[in-house]
Amino acid sequence: MGPILALSLRQLGGRWRLSITILLAALPVVIASIVRLAGADIEDHFAPDILDRMVITAILPIVTMTLATASFGNEMEDKTLSYLVLRPVPRYHLVLPKMLATVIIAGPILAISGIALVLIVGESGAQMAVAVGIGLFVGVAAYSAIFTWAGLITPYALPYALVYVFLWEGIVGGFLPAVRYLSVRGHSLAMMYGVDGTGFDRYEDLAIEFPAAIIGATIVIVGFFWLTIRRLRNMDVP
Amino acid sequence: MTNSNPIISLDEVSKWYGNVVAVNDVSLEVFQGITGLLGPNGAGKTTVMHMMAGLAAPSSGTVEVLGQSPRGDHTIYSKIGIMSEHEAVYGFYTGRSFVELAAKLYGIDPIGPAVDKAIERVGLVAAQGRKLGTYSRGMRQRMRLAATLVNDPELLILDEPLNGTDPRQRLEFHDLMRSLAAEGKSILISSHILEEVETLADRHLLMVSGKLAAAGDFRAIREELDQQPHRILIECAEPRAMASALVQSEAVDSVSVEEDGSIMVLSRKVSVLQRLVPKAAAERAIRLMRVEPLDESLESVFSYVVER
Repeated sequence: MGPILALSLRQLGGRWRLSITILLAALPVVIASIVRLAGADIEDHFAPDILDRMVITAILPIVTMTLATASFGNEMEDKTLSYLVLRPVPRYHLVLPKMLATVIIAGPILAISGIALVLIVGESGAQMAVAVGIGLFVGVAAYSAIFTWAGLITPYALPYALVYVFLWEGIVGGFLPAVRYLSVRGHSLAMMYGVDGTGFDRYEDLAIEFPAAIIGATIVIVGFFWLTIRRLRNMDVP
Repeated sequence: MTNSNPIISLDEVSKWYGNVVAVNDVSLEVFQGITGLLGPNGAGKTTVMHMMAGLAAPSSGTVEVLGQSPRGDHTIYSKIGIMSEHEAVYGFYTGRSFVELAAKLYGIDPIGPAVDKAIERVGLVAAQGRKLGTYSRGMRQRMRLAATLVNDPELLILDEPLNGTDPRQRLEFHDLMRSLAAEGKSILISSHILEEVETLADRHLLMVSGKLAAAGDFRAIREELDQQPHRILIECAEPRAMASALVQSEAVDSVSVEEDGSIMVLSRKVSVLQRLVPKAAAERAIRLMRVEPLDESLESVFSYVVER
């Protein structure tokens, strides 16, 4: 698994992808810094609102989809996937490092961004920072599983992923509370609220139950991991 | 495994993509030694090789490689070395690290000696430390071959391996293939250029328009083609005069003048006929409007074999 993880990190860790990831992740930190330096009166719900509306709803899925759809998508486009599938390795040995590469690149950058945000606005304790880190990592892992699979299903994974995030995670999830059980955003928010209910009391009405979020995120990650393995076994490789 | 047992067998295999039939009811066997899979571009060679490699599933029929289906069991790849026709490589890797990646995925331990041997066999020791992105096309092909050879496979499936190679590299490739065959390996090489593998392969499989047109050694293929009369349609200013000129030739089996004035010729020696028709027309000052082989697949095969 190591050689494929090293290869995938090299492929995904290219200059422009890393630059986009860092630039997007820096946005909330920059906003928080400006607000703090301006000496404005920062309300308690400032950080949770930025985290929900900017980081979890937009930045996290965009960064993750950019990386994860490319992990197999680029191999398909470049016709290099045969170098991996024509070797005597189990398919999960190919899929797991591809998913992990996205998590390893995007996870720490987004987590640092989220933690820096809550530290800058000065609301946080260690528990809130841990909650942010866990919530964002879970979001990255779940989106990584979904979009890695999407990259193997269609060459148009990126536009489809954008539509999915906008419609399902953004609009439908906002109107229909039940969708939050099947939404990565719902899982991430519930993780944060579950770890630090006081710091994230803003999410009281948004968050699903903590155990439901754990189960839901696990189902998404394991389910799409399995679907990707299945797809890799059954597809015609170009 | 003895020579009489097929290493690869396809039984009534077809492959279609939507309405497009890429491979049509092909049955063939590949035995130990070097086999050339030949045919013009678009003949279905790559699709057949993809099915042999397990990269594509047949729409119907069965494919067996080394006695088992190439799909569904990844362990089969420890015995096969496959080089696809796509020339893309990981350009950021050096030649050596590219072969090392293959060695690691094959589970070779230690990888050093195997990588050294594979790179030495393709003659790229001096360039192994350079990035693949800086390689010429021929060098990339050879380093890809090294990655295919690194696990010392008993069967090699090579799709257009000579693309981008120069004449000297081709000679070296021939020597390498012969030495691998002498070690007991089975090798299937595809090419759309007959002369690339004509002298190399013990046996040829000839594909045209998704079908297996002929199989055997090269002479047998020629004989097989010669045994089948080809239909050639001729339209000219004076069909009866032209028909009487053609019927005297040994290259012509029969001639008939159709109701619309066209001439239908049946011939087993189309190459002779190809020279005869314009000559006869010129001698008799007959204006030729159209000369067209009607049996497209045979014509393609014929052109492919004869007009090389």
